Amino acid sequence: MLKRALAIILLLIVGYWLAQGLAGVPFGQDKMLVGQYYLDNVKQQTGAVNAVTAVVVNYRGFDTLGEVTVLFIASTGVGALLWRKKKKRTAKTEGSIVLTTGTRLLVPFVMLFGAYIFIHGHLTPGGGFPGGATIATAFLLLYLAFITYEIPHKGFEKTEGLAGMGYVIVGLIGLSIGGYFLFDWIWQTWNFGTENVGRLLSGGFIPIIYTIIGLKVGTELSGIIDNMLKEEVSE
Amino acid sequence: MNALAAIGEILVLLGTFFYFLSALGLIRMPDVYNRMQTSTKSATLGSLGVLVGVGIWALGTDFGSIPWLTKTIVIAVFLLLTNPISAHALIRAAYKSGIPLWEGSVVDKYREHLEAKEREEVEAPEAPEETPAEEGGEE
Repeated sequence: MLKRALAIILLLIVGYWLAQGLAGVPFGQDKMLVGQYYLDNVKQQTGAVNAVTAVVVNYRGFDTLGEVTVLFIASTGVGALLWRKKKKRTAKTEGSIVLTTGTRLLVPFVMLFGAYIFIHGHLTPGGGFPGGATIATAFLLLYLAFITYEIPHKGFEKTEGLAGMGYVIVGLIGLSIGGYFLFDWIWQTWNFGTENVGRLLSGGFIPIIYTIIGLKVGTELSGIIDNMLKEEVSE
Repeated sequence: MNALAAIGEILVLLGTFFYFLSALGLIRMPDVYNRMQTSTKSATLGSLGVLVGVGIWALGTDFGSIPWLTKTIVIAVFLLLTNPISAHALIRAAYKSGIPLWEGSVVDKYREHLEAKEREEVEAPEAPEETPAEEGGEE
């Protein structure tokens, strides 16, 4: 009781402190310094209509590379923590026939929608991370509806590694052509798609990188699900 | 305001009305199964009304276009397919985890079926493996 009361009082103090700090910040006013530059130049410099993905992939590509690395480490860490010699699915009861049939019907559409999200990252909201998470959701559905389903491990782990390498390779090609890492060579050097900004075949290397990231995130999260849904079998 | 916008507005109004009924059923009904029954059905219907209504409503205004309607119909079909499955899974899980029926319920055929199957298994242990009978809704 005393612990809880102390915690509430402490939280109230911290909240009041934060509110005092934020009280002086004006909301709804034009205070953009760097943001205005992004909004003014995003179409000519990157070819993307979606300013967020342009910033995330083009202007600040290092952050995205770091995020992908964090995800990779998380997946590897889960794999290392839950490493056992013989593992099996633990589900004992079959799902009902409505559930399995519905899953069978829905999974291709969920995957299609995930692919749509990461391919259209430069045009619509979303990008590689939501698209990859949607694809992982399809695999989670398969795992939850069927008792024996298991992702094809060989192909999955290879795809994951190849996608991660692909991102770095795209960056390194930019380094050799343009002089710095993650230089958008498709847009800046080839001028590919300059005449159809706002359509699918534009946006420089954003669709390519987002396809890579989508595959990587999808396979990674599916791998985490796979690791967590298994248990050791005693022999 | 033209006819399309008017139709859309009426559909959205109907949809929100069914949303309200769904929330009301969640409070009003006595047990889990009745609550699921009232809330899922009317929420599905309400979403369909609101989504398709928004698409038609947008067609009637000057910024609306056919892609609006297409997108809303795609979302509506997705909800129409997935909502009943999730409701089915939730109710089935509730029954399997032993949540009792409302005391006013008079018949529980699923329990009778399960008990009959258990009895059969006790009487004839080496029965040829019967396919696990799938009982759908217990509504």
